[in-house]
Amino acid sequence: MPTYVDMTRCDGCGECVNICPSDIMHIDPVYRRAYNIEPNFCWECYSCVKACPQHAIDVRGYADFAPLGHKVRVLREKEKGVISWKIRYRDGRVKEFAFPIRTTPWGSIAAPSSYDAPPADELQSQLLAHEPDALKVAALPALPARS
Amino acid sequence: MFVSNPFSLLAEAFSPMFMQAYVVLMVAAVVAGVLFDMRHKRSAEFFARRRESARAAAQRELGAAAIATIAVETLVVDVMAAGEFDKWQRRLSHLLTAYGFIIYLVTTVVMVFGYASDPETPWAWTALWHLGALMVLAGGSWFFFALRADVAQEARAPLRLRQADIFIVGLLASSAFALVWHAAQMLDNGAGVTMLLFGLYLFSTTLLFVTVPWSKFAHMFYKPAAAFQKRLEAASGASDLPRPAEISHIRR
Repeated sequence: MPTYVDMTRCDGCGECVNICPSDIMHIDPVYRRAYNIEPNFCWECYSCVKACPQHAIDVRGYADFAPLGHKVRVLREKEKGVISWKIRYRDGRVKEFAFPIRTTPWGSIAAPSSYDAPPADELQSQLLAHEPDALKVAALPALPARS
Repeated sequence: MFVSNPFSLLAEAFSPMFMQAYVVLMVAAVVAGVLFDMRHKRSAEFFARRRESARAAAQRELGAAAIATIAVETLVVDVMAAGEFDKWQRRLSHLLTAYGFIIYLVTTVVMVFGYASDPETPWAWTALWHLGALMVLAGGSWFFFALRADVAQEARAPLRLRQADIFIVGLLASSAFALVWHAAQMLDNGAGVTMLLFGLYLFSTTLLFVTVPWSKFAHMFYKPAAAFQKRLEAASGASDLPRPAEISHIRR
């Protein structure tokens, strides 16, 4: 049950094109509005639904929590760090959920490209990039080197 | 250049009647194009159906005063300030292009109908005509070369044109050829060059107005209708979006 775009709400900004991990959200060559070019390949990950600033994208949700005749809508509030869901069941019941998604301001996390490139010998290290500083600990345990 | 009327200079070759008839023809082309587009895409039917379903889902009745307030909000926020845009770059580019186009259009009509045979056109009209065309070029080029989703998100070459580009290309070409043609008039560098540029200006302007059923021209009329409907749904409780969260989780 893939994504679909409400063309009267879409303004063709391309946020969904950027974020789609399956690369199936594209811009229509006639109307310059987003559309799902290959619904069969949609993972139903909801990335585009959450990213769309116009709330123009919807997905028919998984049958186990929202069976046919239902509606699932998402509201992302960047300034509050919250994503809210509204599920309308086919018997008319409506349930709403609000999930905190982050505690730091939107856009405040530095992109990997803004860090200095690590030296080549770091490839031998057991630590991941920016560890242990990024975890705000003095040191991390490491396995002893094989003799 | 900024204080001369290109149409009064053109009146030496074409009668003002010809220019006025052309303007009337273009207005008729836009009206016919929008009506054809509405019929072809069944957009009026779509909005009527949407209004019906919103009315059925409404949790409260909106009075005439509330609807009038929503109409004013739509006009001020969504239409005049292009409030629907999330990114300031797209919003600014859109505002430059939209206001530039309105100024360019209105001053063209005023100069063609009021001052086509008058070499003493008030400088405010001529200056505004130039300003409008320059605003269209600034905002439109920014959008066309950098902000257009085909270029910014799809990483296509800017000059790879599709049907969706007819409107912006027509708009940019009309404004650019208008300014270049007028510059040629002022420089007086040969009637042939001036007439060639005038021909290009006429062609691109005609392209802009007669391609309404195939271009994005009609979005100027649909988008305010969609924005008004969206606000009505939110105010009447018919919106299917979740309620905004009550608390912020961002720690500053």
